[in-house]
Amino acid sequence: MSSLLLKTLTKKEEIDRIIRDTIDEVLVLRFGRCTDTVCLQHDDILAKSVTDVSKFAKVALVDVDSEDVQVYVKYFDITWFPSTVFFFNAHHLKLDSGTADHTKWVGAFHIKQDFIDVVEAIYRGAMKGKMIVQCPVPPERIPKYQLLYKDV
Amino acid sequence: MKEPSKKSEIEYCKVCRLHHDHGSRHKYFPRHKDLLSTFLDRFRTKIADVRFFLKNPSVLRPQEQSQNRVWCVFCDEDIVELGSSFACSKAINHFASSDHLKNVKQFLSKNGPAMDCIDDFRISEANVATWRRKCQSLGSEDASSFKGSCEQLSGTSNDIHNKLAFKTMDKIENVPAQLINSHHSSDVLPLQYNTNKYQISHSELPGVAHYGSYLNMDSSHLPLHTDPPSNLPGNGFGKHVIPSRSKDYPSSQDQERKQIKGSYSSPGEVGMTSISSSHSSDACGNVHSGAPPPWLDANDGNSSNVQLNQSDMSSSFQAKIPGNTRKLNPNRVGAAWAEKRKIEIEMEKRGQTMNSKVDAEWLPNFGRVWQSGTRKESRKEFEKEKRKLVKTESISTESEPVKIQPYISKRARRETGENGSG
Repeated sequence: MSSLLLKTLTKKEEIDRIIRDTIDEVLVLRFGRCTDTVCLQHDDILAKSVTDVSKFAKVALVDVDSEDVQVYVKYFDITWFPSTVFFFNAHHLKLDSGTADHTKWVGAFHIKQDFIDVVEAIYRGAMKGKMIVQCPVPPERIPKYQLLYKDV
Repeated sequence: MKEPSKKSEIEYCKVCRLHHDHGSRHKYFPRHKDLLSTFLDRFRTKIADVRFFLKNPSVLRPQEQSQNRVWCVFCDEDIVELGSSFACSKAINHFASSDHLKNVKQFLSKNGPAMDCIDDFRISEANVATWRRKCQSLGSEDASSFKGSCEQLSGTSNDIHNKLAFKTMDKIENVPAQLINSHHSSDVLPLQYNTNKYQISHSELPGVAHYGSYLNMDSSHLPLHTDPPSNLPGNGFGKHVIPSRSKDYPSSQDQERKQIKGSYSSPGEVGMTSISSSHSSDACGNVHSGAPPPWLDANDGNSSNVQLNQSDMSSSFQAKIPGNTRKLNPNRVGAAWAEKRKIEIEMEKRGQTMNSKVDAEWLPNFGRVWQSGTRKESRKEFEKEKRKLVKTESISTESEPVKIQPYISKRARRETGENGSG
């Protein structure tokens, strides 16, 4: 259902176009599979919140099973699904949530408000010129995971 | 770091009827402004009633003295007409006094709109002087007619409506017949009689129809004025209405007399008088013809400017033309890139074919997870890895296919060799 509301991107060109065309707004790219349960939960939260953040953010889904997209999967070091990457004016913004990976949000959001808070924090930081922002979500609602360095 | 706002001591706002610690900022709050406009409107109607008696002094009967009272909101005092022979005489004197003027100025500086509406809330000395002269002339006439009207009324019930209706009749008969216009207009005829005590006294002058319980003098200008002005926003309202009132007052009496209908209903019956629309037809038009209201002419289109500004603002909010949005922080992330991209988009829209084809190798600015240097370095690292990957793939495809054979031990090979040779 959420895939009907949100744009799903399957090609590198589409991703490039959306990154380049989103000006002065946060671009939220979710990398995942629409069949995965955690991705489904995540997509549901995104779909419900998209109108609330529509004035300062755009949301799009990227299907990681597509071959064209693998270059971005490698470039963004995506190992867990779903992973959400944030952009502002074609610049990647980092989110310090206390986890090992600051470059993206790994896992699903628990509630809509968490997602809205994160996007708002990123927008505010970006407008002030910050490339990394503090995550406003409390630690109990941040998904935990293990990062492997070069398969170690 | 933003300094915390100064906390002022708690004050009571007469207009909003609440205590606040906003200090001097309170008068600029929109809620306060709205309440202030209604507050001042109410007082304007009261002073309009008093002004009516300023133009048309009438004798105040002792029975009505206690009812004829005004509360002055600026001075916070009740003006009761005890012991005064003419209607609203004490009120007129009060509104002309210097103390009242001082209080009005104080109120306006503390609460509200600009000082230019100060004249609405006071009566000038000149007007008071003319009123005094009229009273003196009236005083001599009325002594004789007073007794007569008393006899007439003694038979009827002690109803103030009827008493004043009789007085009205006397006045009408004095009006010259030439000026009487028995025009039956199709205009809406407002109520003549009202429960408000001042409205009742104003029924002396027919043609002064009543609109609700507030407007008196303005009712004759109904063809020009539409809804009660309370609908207009904030302080701008005061500027619109007051000039028309002050402009019209000197001539209003003459105009109203022209509009007086000849026939009058019998006393006790609530009669209707029609107001001739000749006045409105002489003017530029009315609300039905879409003509601008008179207060706009008086203000030289001030309100039209306000309306234009409002429409401009609304259109600017609606229009989302790239490059025309409000000023964004130039230090925001990717500002330079965003400006460049906006220009590119505009040029593409205009039809100038730009190099819209994005390089397939384009990658956004990204800081990788395990990077140690700048983001450019992370991109270079990624491209290096990509090239390595491509090389290894190409090498593997270019090499000959390896033939897979089963393993033969040395002994077996020796035996086969010996068998072959032997």
